[in-house]
Amino acid sequence: MSAKITKLSNGAEGVFIKNDRFNTTSISFNFYVPLQKETAAEYALLPFVMTTCSKDYPDFSALNFKLAKLYGANLSASAEKVGDFQMLKIAISTIDDRFALDNESLCDSATELLTQLIFEPKAENGAFCEEDVAREKRKAIEHIRGDLAQKRIYAKKRLIEEMYKGEAYGVAKCGTEEDVEKITGQSLFAAWQKLLSTAFLRVNVISRSMPQGLFDKISEKFESITRENIVDCTYSAPTKAIDKPNTVIEQMDIAQGKLCMGFSSELYGEDAAALTVMCDIFGGGPYSRLFTNVREKYSLCYYCASGAVKSKGLITVDSGIEKENATKAEKEILNQLDIMKQNLFTDEEFQSSIKSITDSFKSYNDSQGLLDAWYSLKIVKDKLISPEEAVQEILNVTRNDVVYTARGVKLHTVYKLLPNDKEVGK
Amino acid sequence: MKKQIFEGFGEESYVLATMPNGLEIYIMEKPQYSSSYAIYGTRYGSIDTRFSKDGGEMLTVPEGIAHYLEHKLFEGEDGDAFSKYAKTGASANAFTSFDRTCYLFSCSDNFYENLDILLSFVQAPYFTPENVEKEQGIIGQEIRMYDDNPGWRVMFNLLKGMYHNHPVRIDIAGTVESIAQIDAPLLYKCYETFYNPSNMFICLVGNIDTDKTLKQIEKSIIDKPAVEITRGEFQEPQTIVKPYVEQCLAVNTPMFCLGFKQKINSPHRRLKSKICVDLLLQIICGDASPLYARLMNEGLINDDFDSEYFNGNGYAAVIFEGESCDPERVAQEIKAEISRLREEGVNKKLFSAVKCAMYGDLVRRFNSVENLAMSLTECAMCGYSLFDEIKMVKSVSYDDVMKRFDIFDNDNAVLSVIKPLED
Repeated sequence: MSAKITKLSNGAEGVFIKNDRFNTTSISFNFYVPLQKETAAEYALLPFVMTTCSKDYPDFSALNFKLAKLYGANLSASAEKVGDFQMLKIAISTIDDRFALDNESLCDSATELLTQLIFEPKAENGAFCEEDVAREKRKAIEHIRGDLAQKRIYAKKRLIEEMYKGEAYGVAKCGTEEDVEKITGQSLFAAWQKLLSTAFLRVNVISRSMPQGLFDKISEKFESITRENIVDCTYSAPTKAIDKPNTVIEQMDIAQGKLCMGFSSELYGEDAAALTVMCDIFGGGPYSRLFTNVREKYSLCYYCASGAVKSKGLITVDSGIEKENATKAEKEILNQLDIMKQNLFTDEEFQSSIKSITDSFKSYNDSQGLLDAWYSLKIVKDKLISPEEAVQEILNVTRNDVVYTARGVKLHTVYKLLPNDKEVGK
Repeated sequence: MKKQIFEGFGEESYVLATMPNGLEIYIMEKPQYSSSYAIYGTRYGSIDTRFSKDGGEMLTVPEGIAHYLEHKLFEGEDGDAFSKYAKTGASANAFTSFDRTCYLFSCSDNFYENLDILLSFVQAPYFTPENVEKEQGIIGQEIRMYDDNPGWRVMFNLLKGMYHNHPVRIDIAGTVESIAQIDAPLLYKCYETFYNPSNMFICLVGNIDTDKTLKQIEKSIIDKPAVEITRGEFQEPQTIVKPYVEQCLAVNTPMFCLGFKQKINSPHRRLKSKICVDLLLQIICGDASPLYARLMNEGLINDDFDSEYFNGNGYAAVIFEGESCDPERVAQEIKAEISRLREEGVNKKLFSAVKCAMYGDLVRRFNSVENLAMSLTECAMCGYSLFDEIKMVKSVSYDDVMKRFDIFDNDNAVLSVIKPLED
């Protein structure tokens, strides 16, 4: 497996990940822009409008018909939070030409379509079509409002909002309902222009062979665009430690409560392998402190897991709890963190974690989706880290590194979503 | 051991080995992959609440017991399975659905060691009054978690609206009350009936060696005489319970499921009928269909809109689901479009496009060891080969698909809606 970078324009690079085990070719455009309250909603809407129509396919039925004829090529759009940045992804995946039933060149058609969607959107007089914008705005608002239906996601989102008030990382990845409302065809077109001229761009191609001329074609498209003030997305501000942790409690008509806790870590950065291991022993797999104790031994919750955002030096714990267990569970989670700090976790837990993380990294080469996510989330200056290299970094982590990392972890905010006292759902 | 080799798509092939005791073993080598995926399953799910073993008396067991058994099987006399997998680095899990229970792992290293763990714990039940009692709390919390999940509720409310007696109407995990009746002897009864090699299958895909794997399985499987399982028949009328079901939960946008209960005369699931219905659904409301465009442009659906052919032993239905500000209007539009297409016929270009798309999806499936292992599970459950689907999709005709309109009967339609709570 190899990954190679090609420079496409100022601040735009193509990464070809050669992999001959798949029947498909996957191509993704990943644009990185600063996460800001003023622009988040607009940027987040762009990939969705751009993937519903183009100059040649003026409505989404025509576009979807074309995709079906390309043997169900998958066209997808998303907006994600990557540290203090927004990553806007537009991707297509198509089956390789050798499987086409009529000898068509599917890969050429798919790359042609994708570049057209990105560089030649359906727009007139400096504005996207209002009808398309209105439809996607309505869907974006329903999507934002839909978070409430998924309490686990909702609670985690609320924790992050509380932890990072007034900071980039606290801005919702798709903006707010109010900000979506304000978007017009014209303002969105201006955002598209700014995106093409200032965003850092990484194009990932995962295939057995590089689609001919794709990178040259993208370079050509950029020739007519002035690329300047390119976003540097390699650094995100670390989470600030605070002396007195905050507690936020909300109530809702639900049966089961949620407890989310956010911690700052002194160790941070994409290369902080010890943070990955520490967080995994704490609450990663079924061998972790949180699973074996908080869930299994004390039955304080149905799930209890931790996750790390390395670029931000952030650890979160989320769990599903009964209301009467909320305080006990919170105490026990902190107790488990103390055990980590005091070097009282077992060697077996340490080894289990190393084995589980490395086993999982080794499987990345078996999935185009995972590889694409890997190379679009690992944005580090001037180098590409492969899953194989990451395995080595994990193997280099020592027990002492883990204890040292745990000692730099400090509770920041506790967020509880608890049931109202009255009965629910009747 | 009887061995069959299936070949059919490019260089892809797999082996089905059947042991004298009836255990079916599906193995697909993918030597170019780094990882492997294993599933050890039994044809036993939440709907199997009435059964008899070897012609004995018909037993009725508490709802949710298959799922309960799945939880308990992880706990052995010598520790739980997760702690054994922790030593190898595998990622392990299990699930119970309406008609099957599957134990699985995926790994990049130590495949044979992981297979040993899987084969051992699934064959070594250890149920004591204490450990069975302890699980009540955890499963009770899991059930309550589903009570807050509107996507889950809207579906089970629909099933309750469609089915009078068939246990598909009951939550897979049962209820807090039903699981309170579960004890160790009952779990053993279910185990001895359904966890017999003759009712089980193993599906393995990845960087593995077929001969070595088969030898290991042969050595590890505890031989037991085959059992004869009779599954209880449920007096399920062809009609629905009620056409509309509603519940209020903490959501912002209403959610809906529209189901058409299908009249069925035979429990067998035919591949051709499944493929035809799947194609028909894409024609009616797939993202290239006129109905999809209309509903989307009128603000009545969003990207969550979907449809499926839901079928199993003794039940079959077509289900449309999504979020909408006006679920009743969506239901009317879907019914009207079905009538129109039934009378006017289907656009042949659209028919050929959705066929292309389905073929592409099947080609894509060969990318993933997980998808392949899951597909082999489907083969084990339904009795067809992995390559039959691709062949069938290529050969299905326009007329085959048109005939399937007969499953839509407006008198057998149920609309289930989750509405936001009122302030």
